[in-house]
Amino acid sequence: MIETFHIGLYAAALCIIIAFFSFIKESDDLHRLILTDLAAIMALFLIALVGTDLAEALILPGLVVAISKLMALSEVYIMKEGIRHNKENSVLDIEVLKSAPAILAAILVIYGIILSGFPGGAVAGVGIIFYLICKGHKERFELIETASGYAWVGWMLAFFIMIIIPSQWFLAMMLAGGAILLKVTAKLSLIGTMRGDNNV
Amino acid sequence: MFDLSIEGPELFVLPFGDIVPYFSTYTAALAGFVLVFITIAAISLPEKQVDIVFGGDAYVAKDIEPADTRFTRFMAVACGFATFGAVVTGDVFNFTLFAVMVGICNLGIVAASRNRHVLNAAFQYGLVALVASVPLFGSAAIILATTGTLSIWTLAGLGAVPLLAKILLILGVMGEGIAPLYIGKAEIIRAQGAPFVLMIHFSSLMIFLRVIEIVMVI
Repeated sequence: MIETFHIGLYAAALCIIIAFFSFIKESDDLHRLILTDLAAIMALFLIALVGTDLAEALILPGLVVAISKLMALSEVYIMKEGIRHNKENSVLDIEVLKSAPAILAAILVIYGIILSGFPGGAVAGVGIIFYLICKGHKERFELIETASGYAWVGWMLAFFIMIIIPSQWFLAMMLAGGAILLKVTAKLSLIGTMRGDNNV
Repeated sequence: MFDLSIEGPELFVLPFGDIVPYFSTYTAALAGFVLVFITIAAISLPEKQVDIVFGGDAYVAKDIEPADTRFTRFMAVACGFATFGAVVTGDVFNFTLFAVMVGICNLGIVAASRNRHVLNAAFQYGLVALVASVPLFGSAAIILATTGTLSIWTLAGLGAVPLLAKILLILGVMGEGIAPLYIGKAEIIRAQGAPFVLMIHFSSLMIFLRVIEIVMVI
């Protein structure tokens, strides 16, 4: 084990020398900021090389302080260069929330349909809330209302079937399950649109 | 304690698994100083600054609102607590983490100023402090790899820690605590909330005194 540790130590030392050499060469502040992250990763690399449970437990606090320092430094850089956004659109103005919601919402909705009934509606609704919060909702608002209305009709129809033709209970139950899925989804979706825009 | 002259008599020990926080006369004195300075940072009001026109007898008095220095005061108190942790802890890795936290808080104290030159200096200091985490964590990793423990209590007096690890530890703490050099350059002494800058000097001093103790003990 200790031989492996030494080989790893040499490799890490080589990486550190390369990282520090790039510091000497680089003069742009932003690039140097990114290079410091490389150095911080090397520090974690050194701990990870030890390869015991204790070392594993030390990685996380090390990572946390390195990241918090990097964030503080980025904030100083933004202040220093005066490159803060002129207008902040929302608190959720984050890059990943523009690219990820379609996939995540699709996964949640499909999983909700598989679950069916009230929990299914809740899961699918969370997916749609997420999508609407991230993407906006201008045209989809009416669609939700329509779906909610049809779900209400389906729900009532299921009750009538239950009461009038009790032998068809399975159909009624499936209808009610599907309807309540739609209903809960629509209700939760409305939460997603409640962001104070002018058409809500 | 440990039969080492630097520590003096043992005052308090908290056996807490492998990590044993302890007070010797040395660390207790440091911890007492830190508590005094935390109190000063928490209750002091920012001074009234006076800008004097050089070569004349005109001067401008600046009133600084307490709200202007709220963030700096918070950072100064946080820096005090991080220093306290670094002084009291009985674990090498916790010491390095607290040293990094002191570095972050120092950065926060300096960065609260809106002066571009001060921010520039703070940025350069932050780069050094971040890079210093390599020798700092590297030293902890080497100590762990060679001795199998990070507890100062266990390592004390054994002399098992390699010289390289000690050198790296001091180098890392130098990188984290080198802030006074930068703020000397950065005219932050004249910026808002200047009294809190004292905390940077103070924390650096305390961290250095503690790392000297650690290096001589392990």
